[in-house]
Amino acid sequence: MKNFYRKVAFGLGPDDKTPSDPLKWATNQLNDIPEFSWKGKILPEKELRKYYRDYVYGDRKVLRKKFKNDKDGYKREKNKLRHATGQKFWWNLELCIRYSEALKSETPVLAKLWYFWGNHFAISEKDFLAQYTTGAYQREVIRANMNQNFEKMAQEATIGWSMIHHLDNEQNIGPKSQEARWAREKGKTKGVNENHARELLELHTVSPDCGYTQEDVIQMAYIMSGWRPKWGKKRLETGDVHFNPDAHEPGNKIVLGKKYKSGRKSLSVAITDLVSHPSCRKFIAMKLCRYLITDNPTEEMMEPIIKAWEKSDGFLPEVHKAAIEVAFNYSDKYNKFQNPENWLLQMSKMADVDLIPSPSFMDLYKLGNKPIRDQRALEYLMDELGQHPYLAKQPNGWSDISEDWMSPELLIRRLVYAREAYYKKSGKSQTPEFYEEMIEKNYDNSGEILKIIDQHRELVHKHVILFNLPETLKS
Amino acid sequence: MKISRRNFLKGSATTLFLAGFNFPVLANTDKKKNLVVIMLRGGMDGLCAVPIIGDKNFEKKRKDLILDETIKLNSDFALHPKLMNFYNLWQNNLGAIVHATNIPYTKRSHFDGQNLMETGGHIPYSIKTGWLGRGMKLAELKGDGLALALPMPLLLRGIPSNDNFYPSKKRLPRTELLQLLKSVYADKSEHDLANMMEIIANRSMMNNGGTSMSRKNSSLAFKAGLELKKINGPRVAVFEVDGFDTHAAQGGVNGSHSDSLIEMDSIFKSLEKGLGSEIENTLVLTLTEFGRTIKQNGGRGTEHGYGSAIFMAGGLLKKSQVYTDWPGLKRKELFEGRDLNSTIDARSVYASAMSTVFDIDFKRIQKEVFWGDELINLSDKLFKS
Repeated sequence: MKNFYRKVAFGLGPDDKTPSDPLKWATNQLNDIPEFSWKGKILPEKELRKYYRDYVYGDRKVLRKKFKNDKDGYKREKNKLRHATGQKFWWNLELCIRYSEALKSETPVLAKLWYFWGNHFAISEKDFLAQYTTGAYQREVIRANMNQNFEKMAQEATIGWSMIHHLDNEQNIGPKSQEARWAREKGKTKGVNENHARELLELHTVSPDCGYTQEDVIQMAYIMSGWRPKWGKKRLETGDVHFNPDAHEPGNKIVLGKKYKSGRKSLSVAITDLVSHPSCRKFIAMKLCRYLITDNPTEEMMEPIIKAWEKSDGFLPEVHKAAIEVAFNYSDKYNKFQNPENWLLQMSKMADVDLIPSPSFMDLYKLGNKPIRDQRALEYLMDELGQHPYLAKQPNGWSDISEDWMSPELLIRRLVYAREAYYKKSGKSQTPEFYEEMIEKNYDNSGEILKIIDQHRELVHKHVILFNLPETLKS
Repeated sequence: MKISRRNFLKGSATTLFLAGFNFPVLANTDKKKNLVVIMLRGGMDGLCAVPIIGDKNFEKKRKDLILDETIKLNSDFALHPKLMNFYNLWQNNLGAIVHATNIPYTKRSHFDGQNLMETGGHIPYSIKTGWLGRGMKLAELKGDGLALALPMPLLLRGIPSNDNFYPSKKRLPRTELLQLLKSVYADKSEHDLANMMEIIANRSMMNNGGTSMSRKNSSLAFKAGLELKKINGPRVAVFEVDGFDTHAAQGGVNGSHSDSLIEMDSIFKSLEKGLGSEIENTLVLTLTEFGRTIKQNGGRGTEHGYGSAIFMAGGLLKKSQVYTDWPGLKRKELFEGRDLNSTIDARSVYASAMSTVFDIDFKRIQKEVFWGDELINLSDKLFKS
């Protein structure tokens, strides 16, 4: 049962008391969205998007022209521009905010689910989204909606600037729209871009199990045509998202058999219909089980989550509670392979690793300067572990399936960074007694584990073994 | 020289027409053959790497990007002068080029294009496995892939248990510790973990006392060459080279596009060094998402285009040759009036390569890896059976 603390959160830290009612301990964390536990600076998405603009504008419109014959000069000035816009700093600050929720907050269960949703509505590696705005998107669009209905999160994520840009909806132009006609007059063709529509169906809501066709995807894309950032000569693609009727495909559209009228309102109506589709709740229930419990969830596992969804109309706190309860009921039977990020946080929490730079240290950063190495520690570390949360390779996010994390290099990283982490611990946690107590608190088979790690004398080796035992890799 | 498409076809470069009857490649199981794919990310400019000689349209459209002192390959094509390692291979009949080719993707997003170059599909993100992984699955090559990268590239997805090599900057823990973990994994029936730890423990023994290893592609390629050479080593390796997206200061011989091409060239050299005589049984191919516009832009760079070129190296090539069905560079011959056209589906080259190296009938690859798409079997034209 003790793996439950590691399964739905990151285990119990040295200051955490063992809860008398573990299930209640977990579900009590899911009702509200508390303030961030990070005490340093937190910037709104809009402000970060301005820095994004300053960078792409400066590069594309200024430097490329100015240094067209000077490769080295171009590189040098581009680097200056990176620092002038905080390109190497902001995502490190975001990682501090993100990991504080796992390690320093009263709501680690909520944090683990936050990471789930951020990855569900993933913004993968594209342009400079990761460096400037993905972290803020995950705060303002994802986490802020974790005490709302799923529908609200889906609505806001879909027309969020990050997602629209990420999935190219700014290039989605109705072939019969006014803009397409203007383009034709100039001998150009403009048409539909299906990316965003397909991912809305496939990854974000109903999934291919619902049986939509390619025609449904195109029709959905027509509904979405015209939703894009307000273009401006100076702001380029970084303007707020709005609905531009000139790019919208006229006429009725039909998705999954239902008719939608032309115009601005249809997207929101279509999303309401998609999230109410039985395939959507089943898909989300499956993904929650896959994230928390096992690579291959059963119908029995999903059922209570689907029921809770139906009863509450997709109210996320209820859906989350149901998922946590299922994880509790199956905690003895199933162990879930932990992705590198969750593994790192688990180790940091239980072994009291000083993972996150302090707020005052991060706030020393001055725009225009190159951040110092220790301010960038988290970025390097996540890259080295093979899972930077803002750099998923594909719009389907990082994989929840253990096989995808099985490679020699990825396991080597766990060995070497377990050891590195040991040296970031305070002296008081570098004692055999500390480890005995921690293992007792967090593992059901503490006797067996102690016996294994006692085969090595040095504490650092015990630490490396513990965090690479199957019991830890799979929680 | 003024060449039109017609008289060009009669010229020196062999053209690729429908290959007529495709005899299945005879299974040749007595030697181990290797396939290496180098992914060139950002859109490799085939006309910078392998420029056409004496085309007025070309010279006019990118007058600031024309290279001096190119290496003449034949009467129609030259080679970028910094690609000396490739040129050495070429001179020994170990290098060839397919020109005016691309995957069937005609839009201009890196993001979508790179997804499609790895999946081999038509709709971005609709396929979750790579064409190489699916080909290996068909050939039952489980555990025979090696990625020189940390996350497993999408290209290799579709078959489990691939190895990867991308050295950590930190030292591995001592061998006894690894052995202990391995035995714990075995005791607890964690077979995948035990297998991985076996590989890791072997590596750690090899590297004991060694200097810290570089992640430069040239070092990785030497290491990969040594592994591919082993009779029970991997049979497939995948590299990545970034930086081909040169919107500005693409430059000439010393420009930024050259930097990425030089990195690619260093892979050829180190692979050859590591492979030794086994280069004879190896085929190396490049892969990119699209070429670049013919016309230079205001920043003396180029924009995203369409047709590009494939570099090929290794002893499984028939001979040194530029294979192309040259579409021409006049405005009406260009794709959408601006890009080098693609007259050969690049996937025909990759399917033929897998057919040759994995000893699988081309038609099976066509059907099971590429969904029966219309691809041409080029195995007999390009490769030794």
